[in-house]
Amino acid sequence: MSGTHLIETLINGLISGSIYALVGSGLALVYGTTRVLNFAHGELLMLAGYFILLFAVTLGWPVILAAIATIVLVMVLGALLQRVTIAPLMAREDWAFSVIAVTIGLSIFLQSGAQLIWGEQYQGVPYFFHGVAVIGEVRMPWQRIAILVVALGVMGICGLILYRTKLGRIVRATAQDAEAALAVGIPAGRVHTIVFAISAGLAGTAAILLSPLITVNPWMGASYLLKGFAVVILGGLGSFGGAVAAGFLLGLIETFSVAFVPSEWSNVIAFAFLIAVITARPEGLFAGRGA
Amino acid sequence: MLQLDRVNVHYGATRVLWDVSMTVGAGEMVAVMGPNGSGKSTVLKAAMGLKKPSSGVVSLNGEELQGKPATVRPQRGMSIVLERRRLFPRMSVEENVMLGAYVRKAAEARETYEWVLEILPEIKPHLQATAGRLSGGQQQMVAIARGLMADPKILLMDEPFLGLSPAMVKNVLSIMKTINERGVAILFNEQNAKLSFAVSHRGYLLESGRVVLSGSGEEMLEHPEVKRVYLGVREAAA
Repeated sequence: MSGTHLIETLINGLISGSIYALVGSGLALVYGTTRVLNFAHGELLMLAGYFILLFAVTLGWPVILAAIATIVLVMVLGALLQRVTIAPLMAREDWAFSVIAVTIGLSIFLQSGAQLIWGEQYQGVPYFFHGVAVIGEVRMPWQRIAILVVALGVMGICGLILYRTKLGRIVRATAQDAEAALAVGIPAGRVHTIVFAISAGLAGTAAILLSPLITVNPWMGASYLLKGFAVVILGGLGSFGGAVAAGFLLGLIETFSVAFVPSEWSNVIAFAFLIAVITARPEGLFAGRGA
Repeated sequence: MLQLDRVNVHYGATRVLWDVSMTVGAGEMVAVMGPNGSGKSTVLKAAMGLKKPSSGVVSLNGEELQGKPATVRPQRGMSIVLERRRLFPRMSVEENVMLGAYVRKAAEARETYEWVLEILPEIKPHLQATAGRLSGGQQQMVAIARGLMADPKILLMDEPFLGLSPAMVKNVLSIMKTINERGVAILFNEQNAKLSFAVSHRGYLLESGRVVLSGSGEEMLEHPEVKRVYLGVREAAA
C-alpha cells in the first residue's frame, strides 16, 4: 500500500466511522440514559433522509435551511415517539420487553409508512459541496470531507453539552440513577424525552450527510441500525464517548479490510471483530465511561 | 408536618402496604422499624413519591401530594437519602452534592453548601473524587450531604446504617442528631430495634406491610413484644 493510498484509506475510514459514530452515539445516549434499545432509530435516520430530500430538492430550500429544518423536524418526531409510545410503557413495571416490542413495531410502521407515502423507488440527493480537495497526491471530494468535519463538530457539541452544561449534568445523573435523579427533583421523564430528541437529531445529521452519497429509500436505516448496535456494544453499552470511538474504529476496520480483500468481505470482517471483542471483553472496549 | 393516612401500595398484584398511617411532626425524629420485607422502604418511597400509592393520602403541611410527581417534594422541603446511598457513581462528590440543590437557586444553594460542609467536614477532602470510588461510609456522608442540599424541613433516610462499620454507624447517628437538633425532622427506617428507638422521639413497628405498634422511642423499647421478638429479652421466670 503506497503512502497516498494509506492516507486516502485512513481518511475514508474516518469518514465511514463518523457516520457510524453519529448513529451509534445516539443509540448509546438513549440506552445509557433510559436502558431502551431503540429499534426504530434507523427509521428516524430514514425519515430524515426523506425530509432533506423534500426541503433541499423538492422545495429547493438553501442547504443550511433544509438541514436545520430536517434536524428540528426529526428531533420533534423522536421526542413525540418517546412521549406517546415509550414513556407510557416505562411508567409500568417490567417494561423492558414491551418497549423493545414497541420500538420494533414502530420501525416496521415507519418503514411501511414511508413506502406508502414515497413509494419504493430509490431517490437521489445532489451533492451539497462540489469539487475535489487536492492535498499533495491525495484527492478527496469536498462532500466526503464535509461528512467528517460536520460529524466531528456535531458530536463535539453533544459532548460539550453532556460534560460541560447543566443539561448535560442532569442527563448524566439520570443515566446513572434515574430514581435518585427523580428524588433530587430532576424530571427524569422529561430528560428521557430530551435524550430521544438529541438521539434523533444525531441520526438526522447522519442522514443529511449520507443522502448525497447513497440513495434515499424506505430501507436505508436498517443497515445503519445494525452498525449502530455494533458500535454501542463495542463502545461499552450506553457510553457516549465509547460509541464515538467505536464508530471510528469500526469505520477504519471496514475500510482497511476492503483495501486488502473484496468489498463483500467488509461486513464479515467488521462483525467478526465485534464477535471477537464480545468474547474477550463482554463489557465492550470502553466500558465504565458511560454518560 | 408529614402525614400518611391509610396508604396502600401494590407491586403488581402484590399488596405490600396495608392502610399504613403515620405522622412526623416538625423537628421530630421518627423511626420505622421492622424485619426484612416488612415494607419499610416502601413507606419512605410512597412518602417521597417514588412509589405511587394505590390509595390513601400523603400530605405535607396539609398539602396532599400523593397524586403529584416526586419532583415536587424537594420544592416543598422534603428530601430523601436512598437505601445503599445511590450516588451518581461516575460523577464527582461535588457534582453529587450540588445536584441535591437542583430545585434551588444557585445563591441559596451556595449558602447551604457551606452549612453542609460544616456538618459533614469528612467529605471536604474528597470533593473532586469520583463518588463511586469512595468507601461505603464516605458515600453515606455524600448521600446525606446531597439530601441536605435541598434545605429540607424533613429528611427521609432509607436504612442509613446498612452495610456500615460500627464506628461509622456511630458517626452517622451523631450526624443525624446534629441535623435534627438544627430543626430538620427525620423519618428513617432500620431493622435494629435498639438502634431505631434509642435515638428517635417516636417509632412505628411495621410487620408484613402493617403498622402493628407505635409510641415514643422509650415506650417502643419497653414494649414486651419488641423486647421479646426484636431485642431477644426473655421474661423472667415466675
